[in-house]
This record gives sequence, structure tokens and C-alpha cells, in this order.
Amino acid sequence: MTKIDVVDNHGQFTHLEQRALRDMGIDTELIDNETPPEEIDADGLVLSGGPDIDDIGRCSEYLDLDIPVLGICLGMQIIADELGGRIGGGEYGGYADVTVELLEESDPLTGSLYPETRVWASHADEVKELPEGFELTGKSDVCGVESMSNADRDLYGVQWHPEVAHTEEGEELFENFRAICEE
Amino acid sequence: MVDVDSFITEKVTEIEDAVGDENAVIALSGGVDSSTAAALAYEAIGDQLTAVYVDTGLMRKGETEQIRETFSYMDSLRIVDAQERFLDALGETTDPEEKRHIIGEQFIREFETVAKDVDADYLVQGTIYPDRIESEGTIKSHHNVGGLPEVVDFEGIVEPMRDLYKDEVREVARELDLDALVAERMPFPGPGLAVRIIGEITAEKLEVAREANHVVEEELEEYEPWQALAAVIGKATGVKGDNRVHGWVVSVRSVESRDGMTARAQEIDWETLQRIQSRITGSHENVARVVYDVTHKPPATIEYE
Repeated sequence: MTKIDVVDNHGQFTHLEQRALRDMGIDTELIDNETPPEEIDADGLVLSGGPDIDDIGRCSEYLDLDIPVLGICLGMQIIADELGGRIGGGEYGGYADVTVELLEESDPLTGSLYPETRVWASHADEVKELPEGFELTGKSDVCGVESMSNADRDLYGVQWHPEVAHTEEGEELFENFRAICEE
Repeated sequence: MVDVDSFITEKVTEIEDAVGDENAVIALSGGVDSSTAAALAYEAIGDQLTAVYVDTGLMRKGETEQIRETFSYMDSLRIVDAQERFLDALGETTDPEEKRHIIGEQFIREFETVAKDVDADYLVQGTIYPDRIESEGTIKSHHNVGGLPEVVDFEGIVEPMRDLYKDEVREVARELDLDALVAERMPFPGPGLAVRIIGEITAEKLEVAREANHVVEEELEEYEPWQALAAVIGKATGVKGDNRVHGWVVSVRSVESRDGMTARAQEIDWETLQRIQSRITGSHENVARVVYDVTHKPPATIEYE
């Protein structure tokens, strides 16, 4: 059975990420973000959202575990920040109902949702500059970087919340991530 | 989604094992969570369980009568009439967190009395997963998490539904043959109408809130909202029968949701909205206007306080 753990960065929806994976029949565990990297035994990781980029424990070390990582909201910002991108405050709070324009039909994570998808988002900060090796895969009227991928390293990020019930194709995105983890 | 059959079997055993031959109490709020927890616990330990319902005066229209009827099969049901004590305790308090706190404290006092009276060793609570998340964060405090154990020396606390989401609780409630009204009931906050009244709680505002909530629930039933409510949010000017009125503003809110974690404001047709407006302003001369809340969650929460 595929095992995908969720790293808890204290977001209000973290447990819904675990629930979404559980409901898909994936073996999943919610783990503290201070868990030593060597104790992690999973085929993939989800970095959850959360309120504070200074309270992310050892998340940056998990990017070197050589397993696929999906960063959600703050989780994506962690990936960008750690790998040389830039994050900053958005001009417009990205809240609730957002239509994301998808840019890469061949992207393993978001390609199947091409050309657009309706999502639920909740964030103040956003990714301003992509880290090297990453491709912009989604954008919206309220946020320039809605999703990004580095398919060579299997590192992915979405600014929206695929785990909440109001995101229309959230489960499909998790299915795509499962496929990435099973490759 | 939780497997309902094995969940019930597992939890009944768990409650039996935890409580043994001792006595337990549970607080019934009228909502689906505590009702389901009570039914589970009653199945496990029968009349060793005392279900306590406190009529705070902050309840919906007809709520107390309905509880009396739904749980009449429990010989040990206790209904505590505490309306005046809650209003007195709230006094002129306006701060939302302070209000929740006062209500929580008063609940504890009411339960303490019963818990000591029946010699309860265990507390059963209908806490569900989102209660814990929101209490761990800083969004809102929930009165049913913590508090009581500090004043009553329970041997243990049993929370059979602590890992469930609301939609899963409803599945369990259906399986337990809980009255359809309870199983399909809209979520109602522990602090009751108090969180649907901005500012000071008065008998006058309570009356408006109670009647307006009744109208909204009735009129919006066909939209099958996750939650539909009315809140008294302030005062504004109106004109009725050539007289200027400085009356209450009632905000109507109706949302659809799966689990309460996110919510979408519902699109309600104009005639329905007008009928709600007309029924509320028409039967309450102290209401000056009715507005409809179009905000999703996030950024708003479902309830007002």
C-alpha cells in the first residue's frame, strides 16, 4: 500500500489533507514537523499549510529525502523559500472561490485539470519568484503563482487547498500525486 | 468515510470498558453531536448514564420540548431550567470571547450540581474533530472542550467521536435510529443564540433572534442548507407607518458545506429573501431591516461570534 504522510505545519485544514488521503485508501499518518528526517518512512510527503513561515520545524530537510513532496499553501511557500525563490505579501488576499488557469497540460500534478479549475484558497502571502528548476503551472487573477512544479526532483506546490470540500477537483489532484509517488 | 457499523461496535465496547460499573454524565445541547454521543453511551451503559440538558434560555424555538420528546426513552434524562441564571451571568458583557467564557462557566456550574448529585465518575462528551482543531488554533474557543474536569474530579473523560467530522457523525446518528430531526438537524453552536447576537445579550434581542432564526430555518428548508441562521447585528434607522424607527438589523445567512471547515454562501431567490424580510420586519416592530450575508468561509466564519 502506498504511504503518504502529512507534515503538520499547524494549518486549520491539515487534518482534511489526512482525511482526503485516507478516504482514497492511502496509508497516511499525520506527523509533527519536528520529526527527524531519518525516521520518516513514506513514499511521498504532503507539507501542510499553516500560519507562520517561522514555525515550520524541519520541513526544509524533508526536501532532500528523495521522495515526492507536495507543498500546500504555506507548504509551497516553504519549498520556494528554501530552494532560492522569493515569497512576499499578496496585493489581494486570496480567499475562497478562485478560478485557476492551468498552463501546462503535461504537468504530472496539475496537467489533468487543464485548462482551468475552481478552487478554495486562503492566504496572505504568495510565491513571488520561482526557485530554479521550477515551472509555473498555474496562475489566477488574484495570485501570480498558484502552482509550480519541478518534475525532475518531484517537488510540487499549490497555493490553494485541494483538501477542502469546495475545491472542485481536489481529489483528482491528490490522485495525480499518488500516481507520482507510485512511479 | 468512517465505517459506521464497526465504529458503533467499537465505541460501545470502548465506553463499556472505560466506565465499567461506575456512573457517567453527558451534556445534551440539542445538536447532533451530543445527541449521538448520548445515544452511543446509553447503548453501552444504559441508566448508568445521566443525560443532562440545560435550558440556558439561549436555545432555538421549541428546542427544549423536542429534546424532552426525543430522549424520553432515557429514564435518567434531566432537564435543568437555568434561563435566568444565564442571563444574569451574561449581564452587560459585549466581548464575544468573554461571552463564550461566561456561558462555559455557567454550564460547568449547572453540570457540577448534577454530576455531584448522581455521583458521576465519568464525563462523556460529544466533542468532534473540528472542535479540537479550532480550539487548538486561535479561531474560536469551544465551550465543550475542557472546563468541567477542573472543578469535578472525574476519573475519566470519554469522547467517542473525537476523530469524526460532522458528516460522519450524521451517518452514525442515522444508524443509531436517532430521530430524523436530530440526525438531519442543522448544526447549532454550544453557546446558542448568544453568538448570533452582537454585543450585549438582552431579553429583547433574544426574542428577535429566536423568532428570526425560526423564520429562516422554515423558509430556507428547501435549499437544504448546511446551516441557515439569523443574527442580530446592530441598529439602524427605518420608517414604519410614518414613524421613524431605530431598530435592530437582522442578518440572514445560509451556507452549504460538507464539514463546516469551508462554506459557500447560498444563492437564494429574491422572492424567498423578500418573504423572510417581510415576515421578520412585519412581526417585530423593533426590527428596522434585514440583510443577506454573501460571504463565504473563509474569509468569514459561519457563525457571527
